[in-house]
Parts: sequence; structure tokens; C-alpha cells
Amino acid sequence: MVDLIVRPRAGETIDTDAAVRIRDLTVVYKTAAGELPAVSHANLTLRAGEITGLVGESGSGKSTLALSILNGVRAPGRISTGSVDVVNAGDVTTLAGAELRQVRGGTVGYVFQASQNSLNPLKTIGKQLLDLGRSHGVADPKSLIRRARELAEQMGMDADRVIMSHQHELSGGMRQRVGIIFALVLNAKVLILDEPTTALDMLSQAAVLEIVRQVHKERHLATLIVTHDMGVVAELADRLAVMYGGRLVEDGPALDVLRQPEHPYTAALIRAMPRIVGDTASARALPGRPPDLMTVPRRGCVFRDRCPLAMPKCADTEPQLVEWMPGRHRACYADLSDVTAFAAQPATSVGAAAQPTATATPEAGSDTVTEGAGQ
Amino acid sequence: MIEAHGIRRTYHRRTLLGRTDVKALRGVDFELPNGGAISFIGESGCGKTTLGKILTGLESYDEGTLMIDGVDVAKTSGKKRARLFRQVQMIHQDPYSALNPTRTIRQILGDPLAMRASELGKPKSWIDERAAELLNLVGLDAEGVLPKYPHALSGGQRQRIVIARALTVDPEVLIADECVSMIDVSMRLGILKLLRDLRADLGISLMFITHDVATARYIGDGGELHVIYRGEVIERGPTDQVITEPVHPYTQCLLSAVPVMHGLEESGSDRLVPLATLDERVAADGCLFAPRCPFAQANCSTEHPTLMSYAGDDGHRHACFYPEPRRVVATELAV
Repeated sequence: MVDLIVRPRAGETIDTDAAVRIRDLTVVYKTAAGELPAVSHANLTLRAGEITGLVGESGSGKSTLALSILNGVRAPGRISTGSVDVVNAGDVTTLAGAELRQVRGGTVGYVFQASQNSLNPLKTIGKQLLDLGRSHGVADPKSLIRRARELAEQMGMDADRVIMSHQHELSGGMRQRVGIIFALVLNAKVLILDEPTTALDMLSQAAVLEIVRQVHKERHLATLIVTHDMGVVAELADRLAVMYGGRLVEDGPALDVLRQPEHPYTAALIRAMPRIVGDTASARALPGRPPDLMTVPRRGCVFRDRCPLAMPKCADTEPQLVEWMPGRHRACYADLSDVTAFAAQPATSVGAAAQPTATATPEAGSDTVTEGAGQ
Repeated sequence: MIEAHGIRRTYHRRTLLGRTDVKALRGVDFELPNGGAISFIGESGCGKTTLGKILTGLESYDEGTLMIDGVDVAKTSGKKRARLFRQVQMIHQDPYSALNPTRTIRQILGDPLAMRASELGKPKSWIDERAAELLNLVGLDAEGVLPKYPHALSGGQRQRIVIARALTVDPEVLIADECVSMIDVSMRLGILKLLRDLRADLGISLMFITHDVATARYIGDGGELHVIYRGEVIERGPTDQVITEPVHPYTQCLLSAVPVMHGLEESGSDRLVPLATLDERVAADGCLFAPRCPFAQANCSTEHPTLMSYAGDDGHRHACFYPEPRRVVATELAV
């Protein structure tokens, strides 16, 4: 298994399970206002046998971060600093051409968001599989198809039908499964799924998640699920990483982070989820809106505008992602142990609307101001 | 007040082999009282969107009666019918395409308000006042938003504009069809809470169409939940009761599919394994769900169950020959 180790840098301990190691990664996009960072100094390690959930809203940089594992960020974006070490391949940010192609689809399987757009509408699934084999120099196309059929059967699909189908003949859930077949048919070590359940309804979502859980376990993969849905992550992930405004703001074992979030954004996201158990009145809306490339603050903490615990320091110096407990990281100065103070604040601003007023203004308060003031 | 009885709608599709019929709705009954809430949950293709369209007059129905405020809409026409349907306003799924990109928010709200002003005999200045009032009501800063075009607003703000526009005609019922599925997660609850507050403060009735049980639960507090499968309601009852004590296997499958928040919740002990994708097979006479049902018995594929009351409780009804409560929903862990 020696070849499976991502080579450690000087001073780093050897992490035998590390399959992908992202270090100090910054991805910038060229805009009219100069080069702006979509991902800023991110550090993340994906380990074999572990499902990592990367949670963030649109514009948080989560898809850009995932794409950079393939060195797939396209102009006007580019990776400006940092490295992405992938098992058996070295730093992918330095690779190009045939070497890079072996990583893409070979070592790293990637299931794209909106799977219907990643399949060729003019070719059957079987033909596209052969294309994949050809571009990766597979000597024996028959065994490739055989492996694909095994995967299809395992996912509860009629293999013959799938291989002969064009993408429009498959349902959303089936296309998503075909995406997983493409990602795994060349025996990938790393599986990345970008929003695997968006646009699927409940039952297909549950089926796809179950499949991911199975193939992950069987193949001892390092799996990364990129999503905006905390529920998907809470169901599946071993490890949870939260992104906001291009920064990783919290990272740790999923159970611990869900039970005791240590960044105000994570805590607010969990509290803003409608759930099927517990008191519906305890759900709290998060004021404001997520920043995009143009509106993300250049100085200080990126979350401070929406944060109930913001203090003067937050406007000046950006908090760094630090390990505050073994295995858990966060980028925040505030003390969340005083849960009552944190819970009380959004409650007063939103809950005020619950009192009947003459004009009946639901959700007056901070939401009004910040959302309206955006842009 | 909306009353619907036996609403049916069949679409005819021409194919190479002749005509095929797609039964979108197979006889739906419900009542939506003033200030009430009702949610319809189901998979894509179950007919829930068709139902919403019928209630807003955008789609016709083949059979059944639809009464708005005690008036049978089939017996009205022209202006009278239009006025009736104006009581029912729709909030669409996609706020990006629901607003005209070439018009400012002031224009978007101004047109229906101008019509309203002439109806109510209000002066022109009332239009701007009312627009500002409505924007405040939906939680937006009127001064900042009025001169803007939709592209300058976030998804959450746009959905609030759509709601404000629906409110310009003082409707009695709002129909929300997957109204938060395209909005960033941190802003979803704000929209849902707004709808809840409109119901509480202005007495507007809500009909919520979704595939997401958790949002249906949040909106439908104290209302009714209808589970719809291939055009037929297969279980209905008070929202909390259907969620905590479902008796129809399909409802149980839907509820089993809700992700469990490990760490905060514990899986239900009877949680069912996920179903494969939608089965197109139709049992000619039997229960529509029988081909996919994990508990189907012999007579399920030959006899068709209709809604019956569960354990003598007329409020909780189901269409299953073998109803059995199962613990499929997660329970909250004490933290």
C-alpha cells in the first residue's frame, strides 16, 4: 500500500490514509474589479474509507474547490497558490496533458452537478464508456463494459437497457447513477460528487445516497460530497467541512460538528433547517444573504455581517482556521459555549414579528435591513 | 374557502402507436378553510403541480366540482370567473423566471396596484404607498428595492417580490409550488416563515405543494397533509399525525427517505429501504402502489382501495387494505 500514500512534506506526519491533500489552496477569478478569490487558503484532506461532506451555499466556492482536485478550474479562473496532492499522482496543479487525464476519471472519479448535462445526448451510454476507455488507454474494452454492467446491476438498474440508452431515455435518478458508473468504472480511489441529489425527489435521493454509501464502503474510497443540503451530509458523512465566502470556516467529525457546532455559521445553518422532528417554532431564519465574489468582504471575517456574535476585532483581522481540539478546526474568535446568548439574539430579531402589530410586518428586524441593503 | 370534490384530469398524448392517456389526477377531494393550511406531498409526476394549476384557473379539469367561496367555478365565466380566481394566487418555484427582467420592481408591483386603485377609488399616490407597505410586509426595504430590476436581487429577495406581487390583489389563498427549492438554504426558512406569518397575521390560507416533508411540516402547522401518489390521495390527516403515525406504506417510504441528522436524531426502528425509481407498471384494477409496495398482498393487485378512515378516526384517512403504523421517522436525541 506504499504507493497509496500522499507524500508528506517536511515536518508533516505521515497520514497513511490520505488520498487527497489540499494545502493552502487559493483560486482566483479575473473580473472587471481585478482578480478576486473564489477559494481562499483552503486546507482539506480526504482520507480513504471516509466520506467528507463539503457544505456551503451558492457562491461559497465549494464547487470550485472540488474542481481544483481535478485541476479543472477554467479561465477566467486559475489556481494562484497552494497544492493539491492526489494519491499515485503527485501535485495535480503541476500536471497537464496525458498525465492529468489519468487523474481525471482514472484516480479521481467526478460526478458532476446536473448529470444530464455531463452526458453526450448523441451517443448511447455504452459508446461513451468506450470513449472513456479509449482516452485512458484501456487495452481491454470488453472488461470495461463488463465492469460497468456489474456496477449498473449493483445499483439496481437493468444493465442492458442502460448501456443501450441515450441520456434522455433515463430518469434523473438513473442519470445520476450512470454518472457514478462513469466515475468508478476505471477503479477510482477518490470519488467526488457535486450536488448529487439536487433536482431529485425524495425517493430517488434516498436511493442515490444508499448507493454512494455502498460503493464507498466496498471500494474503500475517499469520498467527497459537495452539497448545500445539511441533511444529506448529516445522513452520510463521517467528516463535515463548512465553506462560506470562499473560506473553510469549520471542519471536524460530522457527529460532533452537528451536535456542537463551533462556528456561528454552522450553528445558524443547522438551526435554519426545517426538520421532521422537534418543535417547528425553534427553527430560526438566518438574516442577510450569502456573499458572492464581488460582495465578499476584503478584510476581516467574511461572515461578520450576518453573525450574531460579531465583535470589533472581526472587522479588522480575518480569523484563521485553527485546530482548537484534536481533529476539529474552526475560523472564529467568538465563544459559542455560551449557547443561550447565541440563541437569544436571532430569536429577538425574527421573533419580534410574531407579536401582532398594527401593520403586521412579518420578519421585520435584521433580515429586512441586511437583505434589502445587499448590493 | 376552497372545496374540491372528485377532481379528475387526464392528458391525452399522441404517440406513434396511437393515443395514450395519462391520468394526472384521479379524483381528488379536499377542503381548504379560510386561514387554513393544506400541504400536498408526492414525487415528481404525481399530479401535485396539475392540482395547483387547476386551483388557479390555469388548467381545466375533466370531472368533479371546484367551489371557491361557495361558488362553483364551472358555472361562471368571463369577468366573474376571473374575479373568483383572483382570490387564489400562485407562488411559483422559480423566482428567476417568474419576474419580467426588463421591468423594475416598481413597475412589477405598480400594474396590479393601479388596477386595484381604480377599483377601490384610491388616488394615484396610493399605488406607491401600498407598494412600500407590501414590500415592508414581505421583509424588504422598499426604498432600496423599488427602482431595481430583478437581476439585482438575490433568489430569496426575488421570491419575496413574487409574494408581494401576489398580495397586491388582496388574495384569500396563496398556492406555493416548491417555492423554496431554488433558494439558498440559509434563506429558505425566512421565506417559509414569511408565509407562515402571512397566514397568522392576515388570515391568508396556504396550500403548499412540495416533495419535501420537512418544509410541508413547517408550513402546515395545525393544517392537513395529503400524500398524493400518481394522481390519487392515498393518505390524509392532520400534518403531525400523518408524519408521526403514518399507516400507508407509500407515506412510510416517503418519510423513510428523509435524511436522518445523525448526532441529533436517531433513525426510526422500522425505517424502510429506499425504493427504486418510479415504476411505470400499472396494476389494472388494483392498488396503484402495489407494484412497488414492500408489503403488498395478493388482493392488492386485483382490488382498488379507496380512502377509508383509520381506526375509526375520520380525520385520518388512508387507501390501504393493510394499514399498519410503523416507526419510520427519526426521533430527536436529547442533546
